[in-house]
Amino acid sequence: MDRRTVLKGLAGAGGLALTGIAAPAIAQGANARTLRFVPQANLANFDPIWGTQYVVRNAAAMVWDTLYGIDDKFVPQRQMVESEEVSSDGLTWTFKLRPGLKFHDGEPVLAKDVVASLTRWSARDPMGLMLKAIQNELTAVDDTTFKWVLKQPYPKMLFALGKGNAPCAFIMPERIAQTDPFKQMSEYIGSGPFKFVKGEWVPGAKAVFEKFADYVPRDEKPVWLAGGKKVLVDRVEWVIMPDPATAAAALQNGEVDWWENPITDLVPVLKGNKNIGVDIGDPLGNVGSFRMNHLHAPFNNVKARQAILMALSQEDYMRALVGDDNALWKPLPGFFTPDTPLYTEAGGEILKGKRDFAAAKKLLEEAGYKGEPITCVVAQDQPITKAFGDVTADLLKKLGMNVDFVATDWGTVGARRAQKTPPAQGGWHMFHTWHAGADCINPAAYTALRANGDKAWFGWPTSEKVETEITNWFNAKSLDEEKTVAARINKAALDDVVFAPTGFFLGYTAWRKNVSGVTKGPIPLFWGVSKTA
Amino acid sequence: MLAYALRRVLSTLPVMAIVALFVFSLLYIAPGDPAAVIAGDQASPADVERIRANLGLDQPFLVQFGSWVWRLLHFDLGTSIFTNLPVASMIAQRIEPTLSLMMVTLVLTIIVAVPLGVIAAWKAGTWIDRVIMAFAVFGFSVPVFVVGYILAYVFALKFDLLPVQGYTPLAQGFWPWLQNLILPAVALGCVYIALIARITRAAMLEVLQQDYIRTARAKGLGQGGILFIHALKNAAVPIVTVVGIGIALLIGGAVVTESVFAIPGLGRLTIDAILRRDYPVIQGIVLLFSFVYVLVNLLIDITYTLVDPRIRY
Repeated sequence: MDRRTVLKGLAGAGGLALTGIAAPAIAQGANARTLRFVPQANLANFDPIWGTQYVVRNAAAMVWDTLYGIDDKFVPQRQMVESEEVSSDGLTWTFKLRPGLKFHDGEPVLAKDVVASLTRWSARDPMGLMLKAIQNELTAVDDTTFKWVLKQPYPKMLFALGKGNAPCAFIMPERIAQTDPFKQMSEYIGSGPFKFVKGEWVPGAKAVFEKFADYVPRDEKPVWLAGGKKVLVDRVEWVIMPDPATAAAALQNGEVDWWENPITDLVPVLKGNKNIGVDIGDPLGNVGSFRMNHLHAPFNNVKARQAILMALSQEDYMRALVGDDNALWKPLPGFFTPDTPLYTEAGGEILKGKRDFAAAKKLLEEAGYKGEPITCVVAQDQPITKAFGDVTADLLKKLGMNVDFVATDWGTVGARRAQKTPPAQGGWHMFHTWHAGADCINPAAYTALRANGDKAWFGWPTSEKVETEITNWFNAKSLDEEKTVAARINKAALDDVVFAPTGFFLGYTAWRKNVSGVTKGPIPLFWGVSKTA
Repeated sequence: MLAYALRRVLSTLPVMAIVALFVFSLLYIAPGDPAAVIAGDQASPADVERIRANLGLDQPFLVQFGSWVWRLLHFDLGTSIFTNLPVASMIAQRIEPTLSLMMVTLVLTIIVAVPLGVIAAWKAGTWIDRVIMAFAVFGFSVPVFVVGYILAYVFALKFDLLPVQGYTPLAQGFWPWLQNLILPAVALGCVYIALIARITRAAMLEVLQQDYIRTARAKGLGQGGILFIHALKNAAVPIVTVVGIGIALLIGGAVVTESVFAIPGLGRLTIDAILRRDYPVIQGIVLLFSFVYVLVNLLIDITYTLVDPRIRY
């Protein structure tokens, strides 16, 4: 019996006398069957097609299943699908669903549900949009078979259906999937290994998921989003904690079991606790980004953008973010995620070696920069962008630039970065962000790397070379061919400075040692995780 | 009195209308775009625009304001842009933790602060007075989150006496409910205790100089009776006023306290809504808080008549 139990007994007795309300006993077994998890952010909405935040995607992967799932080699493996067949001309894909698939409301998963789900998904997802553009028809052949007929071959079909990047191709009942993709749905019925308990959802505080007893996992070993998703706990409670110090204390105190992303400053404390395990959470990490506006001077001139690359020290950015922990960062002279098949340093010399401020200043001069204010919009409520912003302000000053440092919050950055007007009229010259490494393993979901001008991501870069090579990647038929193309994309994107990568960084995850089965992955994976009392 | 209370309640209506207009206008001109937050980082500008249109955020100010007021007149606070849940039900989900925190803090404050102020006034100029006033300065100066972290470290991590975070509804038992509120209430109460102790001391010092106190002493009345029956009652008006004003402090402090102790109350809902630009939720909460302020002021005015029979409306 510990002190809290004694105190609880004493005060409970007093409270009982005062109110007559008894404190319920918590069964040890029930505690061991409930996993309490602190996610990276608040689950504010739960429509993974309408809202594409990572936290929504992570929760959605528990509730909705996908046709395919990528494994740790980035290869899509069958998940809801039993078999697929592609015609010799590559235009007709026929898929058959595996037996025993059931939605949480007890209804069987049918091909018409899949068709409706893919239709909704393809209106929002970059790869889905590509498929939609070349689609002849998407139809249910019978209850378990559906067919996708295209106007031209699409070699990345299985990757598109199995990728973990938001929005994922989650399968929902037809009646729900018929919701306008730009409107939020209100029913959360999936066929995944967990059911969402809507009645216990308190946005900003708690989200509850219960094991779906009728889920039939595949026989294969689970690897990331592929394989058998065997659930070993009855219930997972997401406890939202906005304050990292509170989350650290709660984990140490045994009030929660697993904290997705402890901040670097608190990791030494957690590592010093014998009851807590700490390891890298997502091996794909993140790519830091310093985004310049290609529409306005001086950054509408490639020389000004190259000047930034020439002077920028990735180590400065990474140290500002992760401190002295060298396990948490790597230099990134390119755009693709390190240690993944397409990683390349082609064209990355400009980011390596001693920083050349004299040459950078000369380039700025050649670009016509004459001391005009540079509007640097920095979100102060995000530790990552705040750290990047401080380093950038210093860098620009060293380059002799006149910095107009706009310290604001992420909500404002989100709105302002969409403005194409000149910086003095509410626009911007630069902002910072970061991209999940999982989104940067190839060009498929790498929206930030696109350079198709007006249609490109914020900053609106234009580079014909980059766009041509991205198209070549989509058409590549082998990994070797993909690698060759990726090297050309990397070089072209660095030559034209689509954006400035500020480095590659990782984050830790921490769990109590009575929890087992926590594995590294691009999202927190709850299947295979168990807990003892 | 009843007529006065009714008049005051009715007078809240124009106040609330002004607050509503002010809040709506402020949010309309504030930078930020909920559609961009919803769409996420990978979304195209066209996607963001379409979501904005679906939410009705592309409508002119008057159209948006008109439809909001129309709903309000039908007691409908609208639906959260993000959660798709009715704002009223989101507030209902969160009101119990905040009310509990405020109530426990208020009780703790009055139990601690008023006697401290009375004792400080009684022992004015002595070391006891100085110690109490030093505590008051400390309580007023140290931010709530610092006190919160220290309390959590000592009482939760070090001695394992109380939980670090969370909230248990009262329906699940008195002790589970109270144990989650002790540390937050102490952290939040520090400022409030300091404020009320100082006001009580000042009011008591003034009253203790009065002739009737000297008379009471001359009659041989005990010190406790003089302090707590005669003096405190006559010093009550400024104390009650500060207790009322302090509710504003409590609401502001609850925002920080609820974040530090992970209490799912209205304070955290407010912060989340502001950061995401969830306009209907912000508007609903601000209206609620405004109404609470108006109500508290009314209650204070009524309380004056109870502690000072000379006051009549």
